[in-house]
Amino acid sequence: MSKTLLIISREYMTRIKKKSFILMTILGPILIAALIVLPLYISKTSEKEMHILVVDENDYFINKFHDTKKLTFSYLSGDIDDLKKSCIEGKYDAVLHILPGIQSNRSNLYFHEEPSLSLRPNLEEQMDKIIFDKTLIDSFNINPTLFEDIKTNSKAMITSLQIDESGNEQQRFTEINRIIGIICGFLIYMFIFMFASQVLRGVLEEKTNRIVEVLISSVKPMQLMLGKIVGVAMVGLTQFALWVVLTLALLGIIQISSPNFFGGEATSISANANPEAIISSIDSTGMLQETNIMNEINNFYSFSFSTLLFSFIFFFLMGYLLYASLFAAVGSAVDNETDSQQFIMPITIPLLLTIVLIMPMAEDPNGPLAWWLSMIPLTSPIAMLIRIPSGVPLWELITSMTILVLFFFFSAWIAAKIYRTGILMYGKKITYRDLFKWIRYS
Amino acid sequence: MEFIKIQNITKSFSNHIALEDVSFTINKGAVTGLLGPNGAGKTTLIRILNQITLPDNGQILFNGNPLHRKNIENIGYLPEERGLYKKMKVGEQAIYLARLKGLSEKEAVERLHYWFQKFDIESWWNRRVEELSKGMQQKLQFIVTIIHEPDFLIFDEPFSGFDPVNTNLLKQEILELKKKGATIIISTHNMASVEEICDDIVLIDHAKKILEGKLFDIKQKFKKHLFYIELADFNQDIEEKMPSEFIITQKNKLPKGIGLTLRIPVEMKANEILHYFINQSEIITFNEILPSMNEIFIETVQ
Repeated sequence: MSKTLLIISREYMTRIKKKSFILMTILGPILIAALIVLPLYISKTSEKEMHILVVDENDYFINKFHDTKKLTFSYLSGDIDDLKKSCIEGKYDAVLHILPGIQSNRSNLYFHEEPSLSLRPNLEEQMDKIIFDKTLIDSFNINPTLFEDIKTNSKAMITSLQIDESGNEQQRFTEINRIIGIICGFLIYMFIFMFASQVLRGVLEEKTNRIVEVLISSVKPMQLMLGKIVGVAMVGLTQFALWVVLTLALLGIIQISSPNFFGGEATSISANANPEAIISSIDSTGMLQETNIMNEINNFYSFSFSTLLFSFIFFFLMGYLLYASLFAAVGSAVDNETDSQQFIMPITIPLLLTIVLIMPMAEDPNGPLAWWLSMIPLTSPIAMLIRIPSGVPLWELITSMTILVLFFFFSAWIAAKIYRTGILMYGKKITYRDLFKWIRYS
Repeated sequence: MEFIKIQNITKSFSNHIALEDVSFTINKGAVTGLLGPNGAGKTTLIRILNQITLPDNGQILFNGNPLHRKNIENIGYLPEERGLYKKMKVGEQAIYLARLKGLSEKEAVERLHYWFQKFDIESWWNRRVEELSKGMQQKLQFIVTIIHEPDFLIFDEPFSGFDPVNTNLLKQEILELKKKGATIIISTHNMASVEEICDDIVLIDHAKKILEGKLFDIKQKFKKHLFYIELADFNQDIEEKMPSEFIITQKNKLPKGIGLTLRIPVEMKANEILHYFINQSEIITFNEILPSMNEIFIETVQ
């Protein structure tokens, strides 16, 4: 086995066996799954079915409230003091008492168990609409059925369609794209930072341990640096792969143990991501066509999921390699982690800047800001990932990748020069001038 | 027999010259002491021998051929600044370092078990390095330096940090390696151990080689023709009748008798001292005082 491979396997094995790696590998999927499942779970449990008794002193709202799966209404008239006790008995979950005088719009809601936060705004909104519609109908003498017709027919709905070079149209869910872009960009940032820092610490460990001189009497410094960078990259890929597999497995287990969780609620996932789109389609058709939307989302994935996955792995790897080589150079030049800060800061500013600008870029993924940042090598791993879900022309993707690869070779060349001199320097505070000297000298 | 020939090595860094036209030879099967004050250029020379750094000028012949990358497997190096991966297990780490020197895993395990038994650290195989005492770590470090049975060994300050017992053990092992035919170079400030184990000496100061040769020859070269004689009786009379060429440089009163340090002219033989005193008094001890390496070192470097 070649010595570089030996170094790679040591770097890989020692890291994989670490408790922190195992912990992260287990906690990661649980966290991700929790992020997906918890909001669903909470929305399911908090919005239990509510049965509401409406006591209207004006007979104005009778049979006007809109029954839904979660919310049903009954109407009674009588002494409110007797009727409101029914919510203690559990016959109704709440009693809505509308006081005399429509214009004053005063009502009380009685309940025993506190209802969900959205109940009161929901009731208010319905009452507003009922009053508004009735006032319109009454003051202009409109035929009520005609009025309902006008209302349903005057809803606007916009479908986003993207046309590619060959003229094919593709329905796009821009909000989902943006969210996926932001998540991918953030993941890349996290991964690059996490694993490049591991390289920095690894190099520093070898230097402060003073094992480095033993090592480079057996192998070339370049092999040592390369072995470490590649070893840690493989740890990163392993962790990522385990996260994907374990998260899917975990979600699968949840689905098997409670089949309705995703099946019936499939749209809730998309509803979470893209509430407006779903709501507008509910309103326009008057009926929710769940299967249709699921198909559209599937279409979206089948179109660019492979591109996204490939780009994610490519930009993670290249971005990581770029930063890891620079971090390795810094690690070799300094004596302890505190000293490394002054050199790490300028290197990471582009990364941090991209993260700060993540929202504006997601807003306008093809605008000049996102475009330029997706071309500049130190920022492109994040910026390009934000853009990809919204569709990026192939030539731009290839250009960005090429620039990144070329820049990596350049930075690796510089890093190797610094590394070779740096690892043997002890006890001297290194300045930028020293670094330039090393680059020029060797 | 020459094993390594260092020819006109020059190495300069951006702000100073570390080695200037240094040439000397290292003899096969001998222990050579590489001496010199701090900052003289010893570590740079050792790094060049290890191919960690390249010389600006000059070349090194290893067994007659220019030093090559593959020679790394013939060299064992114990650096002055040494360490191990603290979190790694002892056995695992030793195997890793041995394999980096070109051993197969099987060979490495076999040889390591032999050495671990010899040094009585077998029970540490599965412990982490950070749990080891410093002396234990030094032993482990020594083992991984010699595990690939190199022909040429470089020890940079091998005795620093060792207690007297382990220093002795290390010396025995170094002499053992020499007996098996290894060529050894030791860089150290510990002059006492130089006298004990070195055959040859090279002294470097201010980037230049200033002394080279057999330990014995160098001592002869630097001797001051001093002799020590211990007499049972000594009186004014004996001193006054003493030949004028004898110069007493030191006189020590002993519980019984006296100890004299005498200097005699270069051309004079030691026999003449004995010849005079043998009729004057009972001689208890007589020997030539040769300069210690410590004295030679200080004298040359100043």
